[in-house]
Amino acid sequence: MTKKLTAVLLLICLALLPVCSLAADTLNILNYGDYIDDQIIYDFEKEFGVRINYSTNDTPESMYTKLQTGVSYDVVVTSDYMIDRLIKENRIMKLDKSIVTNLDQLSDSVKNLYFDPDNDYSVPYFWQNVVLCYDTTKIDPAKVEEKGWAILLDPELEGHVFLFDSPRDIFMMALKALGYSANTENKDELTEAFDWLVKMNQAIHPSYVGDEMIDGMAQGEKWMAMMYSGDATYASMENEKLAVWAPLDGTCIAYDNIFIPSNSANPEMANKFINYVLDYPNSLRNTVLTCYTSPNAKVIEDVTAPGGEFDGVESYVPRTDNEKDEIYTDNELLRTETPELLVKVKLQ
Amino acid sequence: MKSFIRMSYPYILWIAIFIVAPMFMILLYAVTRSGNSTLTFTFTLENFGRFFSDPDFIRVLLNSLRIALFTTVFCLLIGYPAALLIANLSEKAQTMMLMLLTLPMWINMLLKTYAWRGILLNTEFDSELKVFIGMVYDFLPFMIIQIHTAIAKLDPNLLVAAYDLGANKWRSFLKVTLPLSVPGIISGITLVFLPAVSSFVIPKMLGGGDYVLIGNLIEIYFQQTGDWNFGSAISLIMALIIILAMWATRKLDRTSQED
Amino acid sequence: MRTRRTSKIFSSAYLVVILLFIYLPIGYLVLFSFNEGKSMTNFSGFSLKWYENMFSNRMMIESITTTLIVAVVATVVSTVVGTVAAIGLSKAKRILRSIVLEVNNLPVMNPDIVTAIGLMLLFISIKLQLGMVTLILSHISFCIPYVILTVMPKLRQLDDNVAEAALDLGATPFKALIKVIIPQILPAIISGALIAFSMSLDDFVVSYFNTGAGINTISMYVYSMKRYNLSVNSMSTLIVVVVTLILILVNLIPWIKDKKSQKEEP
Repeated sequence: MTKKLTAVLLLICLALLPVCSLAADTLNILNYGDYIDDQIIYDFEKEFGVRINYSTNDTPESMYTKLQTGVSYDVVVTSDYMIDRLIKENRIMKLDKSIVTNLDQLSDSVKNLYFDPDNDYSVPYFWQNVVLCYDTTKIDPAKVEEKGWAILLDPELEGHVFLFDSPRDIFMMALKALGYSANTENKDELTEAFDWLVKMNQAIHPSYVGDEMIDGMAQGEKWMAMMYSGDATYASMENEKLAVWAPLDGTCIAYDNIFIPSNSANPEMANKFINYVLDYPNSLRNTVLTCYTSPNAKVIEDVTAPGGEFDGVESYVPRTDNEKDEIYTDNELLRTETPELLVKVKLQ
Repeated sequence: MKSFIRMSYPYILWIAIFIVAPMFMILLYAVTRSGNSTLTFTFTLENFGRFFSDPDFIRVLLNSLRIALFTTVFCLLIGYPAALLIANLSEKAQTMMLMLLTLPMWINMLLKTYAWRGILLNTEFDSELKVFIGMVYDFLPFMIIQIHTAIAKLDPNLLVAAYDLGANKWRSFLKVTLPLSVPGIISGITLVFLPAVSSFVIPKMLGGGDYVLIGNLIEIYFQQTGDWNFGSAISLIMALIIILAMWATRKLDRTSQED
Repeated sequence: MRTRRTSKIFSSAYLVVILLFIYLPIGYLVLFSFNEGKSMTNFSGFSLKWYENMFSNRMMIESITTTLIVAVVATVVSTVVGTVAAIGLSKAKRILRSIVLEVNNLPVMNPDIVTAIGLMLLFISIKLQLGMVTLILSHISFCIPYVILTVMPKLRQLDDNVAEAALDLGATPFKALIKVIIPQILPAIISGALIAFSMSLDDFVVSYFNTGAGINTISMYVYSMKRYNLSVNSMSTLIVVVVTLILILVNLIPWIKDKKSQKEEP
């Protein structure tokens, strides 16, 4: 019995070793999936002698849940409105600008964001807007450009559309199509958007998916998708029949920023990492691999210049000149109602 | 001998912490009002009311029960003959078959479901059909093995006696094998129906976001909305339904044993 | 006589079809692990690149080691605790035994998402940070019931008199345990351990809700993958190979033992 017990205890200790290794210099990073060039992680580890524990999550909400459960991350990437909420709840540590010196490399398009105008708490990591990506041989571009989001009500598209399974973005489409703000706090407007979506769901029976749609569109599985511009960039580069269009009724521009949660165990290294990914060479390889828009001014300039990786790819840089485009703000009504309402839309 | 009883005490302590306490936590969250970082102890049954008064949620519940039922019945119809056929093989062949059936169980369910996603992409099937296929695939081996275990335990002399008494193959199956295999059928049903009702990975991976079952609903309230109280209430409802189903099947088992 | 042959053909065919169905996705995984392209639907050529890719993917390799460590630890602990508990319970009073067994059944009957959430809420409320420890603890929690369920029936079949006789002959309870009881229920213990191991390997939901930063099991890794990555197929193929080898070994050992004992008999 004692022998068995000792064996068991030994095994438990062995198993806890990975936990003990956390005593060595480690950095816990939480990011969106497929949002980094893995080589950046390995290079950073080598250069700074640290071990990175890298996890991914798929939505700001699931990231928030993880933070709530007390898990300690050092570096997190998430979207604008969630950062707004976290700053207000004092869950974000201020950046050490003596370490994060590359802020001057930021493009003007990503500066002065409402939730963090001076970049005291976060630094832009990637940015994008929500667009329609469609097969020009199956759908007339003139029709798409004329109808905007309302094209999703066209029964001819039935069974041929992907929608990103994200409650806020889906409701944004409806609200914009109806001429309302994507950040509405008006319950009636939300109800109208719900009705619009029910109509849409019954007209075209879209497929609500996650990132499977990226490869899906690249391989021509469906005719149209509502997706993020970075993904659309990738898909349209893989499949030349695809065009990308940001409806004129307005869309959302999203900024995914990188920050340090207030319960980080290793803030100094975290700051170094943030500075590292912002730097020109790393931001460059990051954007080239993932196709998401870099926040680095010179990177944008170089990749869109003649001969650059994204030369001629219109979807690469989101438009900034349409007044109807909005950035999401944190909004209790939309936060609590939209997931449930989306489920109901799918059930009608 | 008495000293042996003491051996069970550590486990009883364990149960109290790791089985009873978690259920209690879910119960606690289910009967209180929101605010999940600080529990506000206002007891309320509003979460349950919210669920049952909403026709859409009831629809989700019924969908879950329905697909679980179809999956179970289908697994039973396909699995029973398979179990019977296997039980009639030579011992070596039986061990081989059982090994072949259990091998996939060691490969993580997500990997197999991921494979199905690839396979089903080539088809034009309805989401519900895809989910159905995925579920039948996942649970069929359990059903076959449970029934086989029960059949294999049967005394072959019983069948011999039946033939001696003049019964043909079909009759002796109906009157001897089938009734005696009922415990196997019941445990097979249990191992298929219960997990099928609460499944959320298979619907999510194969059905896309279109097909929402009760497991998905719970996940949404925990991960997306952050309404842990409502999520816990739904969990509790599901757990209660399952416990009721188990109790009902247990009663069935006892009555069939009395026969 | 013809009907016998046709029925034999029919039954073999039926079983073959079922086996084909069961192995279809596995075969598909293996096939596409050798795909030249990156699609899961178009096989465009033969290549070993996804295997190379897999070995340089640190997160994937780590998910494999995490899964294995958790499974081994959980199996060992739950087998020991479960066996000890089962022995203790078999000697306990009827009422106590039935109550404990009912509670023991909860993780088995409960939907895994309910078990997972319950454990998460527990860990949060006692402020235990989610990580490797909580992951292992939660796996142990759902493995022990399976061990008990496997061992208990065998214990009930045991002839009490043998253990009583050992005690009468002067053996300490501990010795009686090791030398008499355990050898008799050993097959059930091993069976229980194997079931616990496969339950741990197969888990997704409980792990999903109860781990922390950077700790992923294979299932969590696959779930969080955005696009198809055929390295997953390579990983799956390797798992299939390893599992097959293990199962062959496990089944060969008693066969070899049989042969040995046959030789030893004069």
